[in-house]
Amino acid sequence: MNKKLSHSELLAIVKSVPMLTPSANQLLQLTAQEDHDLADVVNLVKTDAKLTARVLKVVNSAAFGLLSNITSIDRAISYLGERIIVSIAIGDSAGKLFDKELAGYEATGGDLWRHDLRTAIAAREVASQSGADISPDLAFTAGLLHDIGKALISDYLLGTAPDAIQMIRSDESVDYLTAEVAMVGFDHTQAGYELAKIWQLPEALVEVIRYHHQPSQAGEANRALVYAVHLGDNIAMLSGFGTGADSMQYPLDPGYGNYLSLTPIDLENIILTVDSEFSKLQESLTANGEE
Amino acid sequence: MGQLTLGVGEYGASNIIGEEVKTYALGSCIAVILLDPQTRTIGMAHIALPDSSINKNKAAEKPGYFADTAIPALLEEMARYGCHKKGKGMVVKLCGGANVMDTNDTFQIGKRNALAIKKILWAHDMGAVAEDLGGNFSRTVSVSVESGLVTLSSPGRPSWQL
Ligand SMILES: [Fe+2]
Ligand SMILES: [Fe+2]
Repeated sequence: MNKKLSHSELLAIVKSVPMLTPSANQLLQLTAQEDHDLADVVNLVKTDAKLTARVLKVVNSAAFGLLSNITSIDRAISYLGERIIVSIAIGDSAGKLFDKELAGYEATGGDLWRHDLRTAIAAREVASQSGADISPDLAFTAGLLHDIGKALISDYLLGTAPDAIQMIRSDESVDYLTAEVAMVGFDHTQAGYELAKIWQLPEALVEVIRYHHQPSQAGEANRALVYAVHLGDNIAMLSGFGTGADSMQYPLDPGYGNYLSLTPIDLENIILTVDSEFSKLQESLTANGEE
Repeated sequence: MGQLTLGVGEYGASNIIGEEVKTYALGSCIAVILLDPQTRTIGMAHIALPDSSINKNKAAEKPGYFADTAIPALLEEMARYGCHKKGKGMVVKLCGGANVMDTNDTFQIGKRNALAIKKILWAHDMGAVAEDLGGNFSRTVSVSVESGLVTLSSPGRPSWQL
């Protein structure tokens, strides 16, 4: 049996995680605001020489197949768009967490980042196709960050996956969250929530991290966004990109219907788009990872 | 040992003894496995969606992606290995088609995939002799060309056979 963590032990784990770089943090703040310009994004990126270099490296990577090199950061950002810039900044700033091998979930290295990227694309598609008033860019960022708590508790869950699955199969647990609590005292949304607060993420992102499996509990202001990520998460898991043993071990909240409209055909189209966008994006962002 | 690995929307066949035909992490996707005892050929398609009418371009580029285009494409591929063009005598096994917990109709992609595949097999006078479909877990499937044995695995569970 694994040892349950106390709240102060959880906080100590969370506090041992490096802070986001100031530019990544400011980018998240800025892009969560309803009215913001790409020009503001450009100005922010310019304050960070390392990030600027990364962005230029990505835009000039083979994935985009540009005929001539882009050397101006303004052009690079307008070519790549806000979402890719945010992905680069997050990957740059917290890459260690995203690349962590989630052994506690019996997942392999890279699974978390791939799951997050697919969730991000799917949440963006849900946001833009569902007729709801949600920023697709924000849904994308929220998708990237939603499961960050798994990287925090995975080590403590080591060896628990078969028991967790068994608890769910025998109805002892309703879902993987309850199993996580039974094993280590906290679930990945609670752990992620603590980190989101320490990182001082915008409220909308904090709520997504905390409630993406229980969207009805999110505050009214952000509930539609949380539902979009909830669906994006499920779409990612359905298409075979989970993070190991917990894949599809969470109920779908049909209450999304009050906020988002989605037909079976819409869903199938989203699955298709996620598949093709994912390969493109992953290829371009790998230029980000290597030093 | 050789391995023929199929990604989402891909299909392929092998008659090389010692080789495995494998596909990873089927969520709502379904692996259609065709075993031809005559030629000892194993064919597999990793199908993602039930119907190609939603995107004809994608179907042209990746016929294995949709149930209605994948099965004819797989049969055609297997004919290159000397198998019967219409799949006569072949043994059919299906796995995958998972759904999320407590899902609603819209999200029953796994179930819609299974129905579509069975309808198309039916139209080809073929039927599955074994299936491991549904549930709410992801499956990795591997078929031995030599024995035709289908082995499944899923994180946190012991592996099993079909
Ligand atoms: Fe989660
Ligand atoms: Fe997730």
